[in-house]
Amino acid sequence: MTVIPIKPTVEAAAFNRSRQAREAEVMLDKLIDDFDENPKSMQYFYDLFRTVYIHGVTLPRPAGPQVGMTCIQAPEELIYAVGATPIRLCNGAYHYDQIGADFMPAKSCSLVKATLGRLHDQEKGVPRIGKLDMIVNPSTCDQKKKAGVMMEDMGYPVHDLEFPNVKESEASRVYWQRSVRDFAVRLQQLTGKKLTRNRLNAAMARTRRAQIAFRALHNLRRKAPSLVLGKDIFLVTNAYFFDDLERWTAATEALVEELKQRDADGFNAAQKKAPRILFTGSPPIFPNLKLPLLIEEAGGVVVADETCSANRMLYDMPVVDEWMVNHMIDSLADHYLKPCTCPIFTRNDDRRRRLIDLARDFNADGVVYQAFSGCQVYEMEQRSVAKTLNDAGIPMLYIETDYSPDDMGQLTTRIEAFLESIKARKRQAKVS
Amino acid sequence: MNYFVGIDIGSTAIKVALVNQDSQLVGVHVTDSGSLFHKNAKAALQVLLDKHNLQREQVKYLIATGYGRKLFKEADDSISEITANAIGAHEAGRAHGGVRTIINIGGQDSKAIQIDDQGTVTNFAMNDKCAAGTGRFLDVAAANLDIDLEQLGVYHFNGTGAPLTINSTCTVFAESEIIGLLANGHGKEEIVAGIHYSIAKRTLRLVKRVGIEDRIYFDGGPALNKGLVAALQDELQRELVVPEHPQTTTAFGAAILARGEWLADQVADSESRERLDARRGLRAEKGAQVVVVAAPKKLTADVD
Repeated sequence: MTVIPIKPTVEAAAFNRSRQAREAEVMLDKLIDDFDENPKSMQYFYDLFRTVYIHGVTLPRPAGPQVGMTCIQAPEELIYAVGATPIRLCNGAYHYDQIGADFMPAKSCSLVKATLGRLHDQEKGVPRIGKLDMIVNPSTCDQKKKAGVMMEDMGYPVHDLEFPNVKESEASRVYWQRSVRDFAVRLQQLTGKKLTRNRLNAAMARTRRAQIAFRALHNLRRKAPSLVLGKDIFLVTNAYFFDDLERWTAATEALVEELKQRDADGFNAAQKKAPRILFTGSPPIFPNLKLPLLIEEAGGVVVADETCSANRMLYDMPVVDEWMVNHMIDSLADHYLKPCTCPIFTRNDDRRRRLIDLARDFNADGVVYQAFSGCQVYEMEQRSVAKTLNDAGIPMLYIETDYSPDDMGQLTTRIEAFLESIKARKRQAKVS
Repeated sequence: MNYFVGIDIGSTAIKVALVNQDSQLVGVHVTDSGSLFHKNAKAALQVLLDKHNLQREQVKYLIATGYGRKLFKEADDSISEITANAIGAHEAGRAHGGVRTIINIGGQDSKAIQIDDQGTVTNFAMNDKCAAGTGRFLDVAAANLDIDLEQLGVYHFNGTGAPLTINSTCTVFAESEIIGLLANGHGKEEIVAGIHYSIAKRTLRLVKRVGIEDRIYFDGGPALNKGLVAALQDELQRELVVPEHPQTTTAFGAAILARGEWLADQVADSESRERLDARRGLRAEKGAQVVVVAAPKKLTADVD
């Protein structure tokens, strides 16, 4: 495993005192120190976050253009195929959220504000990756659409990747395929490298290895008793945003191996009667892991999630092989559109079905639904999801929150009460 | 006699409830939280024990709840105030044929809780990060109007005109709205009634989120305010069950739970002893029956 060098330079020391670094440090220390017996393979990820977020070290990046993505829906295989490197820009820092409030209305989504706030700080924004050659902005939710324009105003070259609002129709499928083809053309212009079948296949082979590792990790979370806590999994998937693809894959494979060993040893990562929680809604992104942290500090364990920062990221592996590269792009586009359960779609029955499936497969006792204040689509889907889950006998806790830490006390009460009610139900079910 | 204590360390007040082995409420004590939660909580417990001539050792189990629950290290256990409130209301509600929905308005939050026939929480909702519709709102309004908090209920019923409308949901904006109404020469009575209806409307939305089922139990300090009770009944179009000491339901619930936990420990102890004696069966069943708690009489009273 490669260890990332930590160089405590004078600049890093000054950086260490910044609000962003302090925020990250408080969260990271809690994620590590509040829990016993963290997996040893997690050390790679702990060090990575400490280096990148707290010491502010610029990550060594592969040569070639750097392409920022503001959303999971940008096909990263295409970016790799033309010799560029993707980086997911979605940000989780309250510090950047406050800076972003200069651009967006105060009541808009924390994630979008924080992403803008981080991009505003072009030089020192964390994670530090040097110059961005392009930002691809899928036109999913309204806030991200408008944020793309503001990024352009900040001086970034932005490509709007047009995204349909309806999933089921043939028209939107064709529209999306066209849109992805346009993106491929733009990428080829950016790097001057032609997109060929071989290059696309090679790129897909690289991401596939990462996806296989992630899927193995995902499947190990079905085990009861739990082998690993959800807070660590969120760190792993968050690291995928900016880490080197191969290094990330190797670290994840090491974690998978350790968890397999834990399984063989009959290890339990959580308390004996820990309620098993399925996490859904607005994505937890470091350092805003407050909800998963509170759940697990209160004695629950997050066994699965349905979010675009983790589970949805690597849900469907593209293995496409067509005669023509354009047809490969079309199939790749399908692989991005069909499994997507983003609430921006008109109907989103797939999301409800997936939640029911996940709850059943991972033996979840309850669902925690996070909606960032201002993320209207997640707020609006809350009712229908709650109904579906309640009809299936799965309790759901709905929490509207944002990146600010000021509601931690209130949230603790709610989460503890939710976990207590799950335990009480289980006791009752046992008695009767 | 063994005693059990529930201590509810809230944002505004500390409430201590003392329960005996038969689940009877022996006494309660309420004091301001101040800024030294832990010190004040300890003092409040001592006051209550002294009042009943009890030694600390006679308290077999103590459960802390409320915002400050984690600070009270002497507690045998802690529990969230939502669960404690549910248990307290379920126990106290037995005398009224059982309650299934609870409205709690506290110093800085308001909650709606739905429980099943066992007193287990099935659903709950809380106000989000805002003091609107909470006890603090009443505090601020009373200060604006230069009225004692306790007098709000009296003013509510003395109005001659219709209650005024307070539109602001934000406590700070409501303050300026109230000042505006005063400046326009409106009577305090109509303003007070308006404030109560404004809180009641907010609470109604909260309760609708969890669903209204069966009788509604209303507790928390503001439940002492008869005017607010009347406004809530009007908005909900239902009678409310309001206990005699609405502030202490949560502490009472924690005490009831403390008793249950202690008994369960005893059962577990005796069971393990029995296992040693290889005499299982009859006694374990008897032991299990002890956990069923009797309905307390003292805590509840109907609203007139």
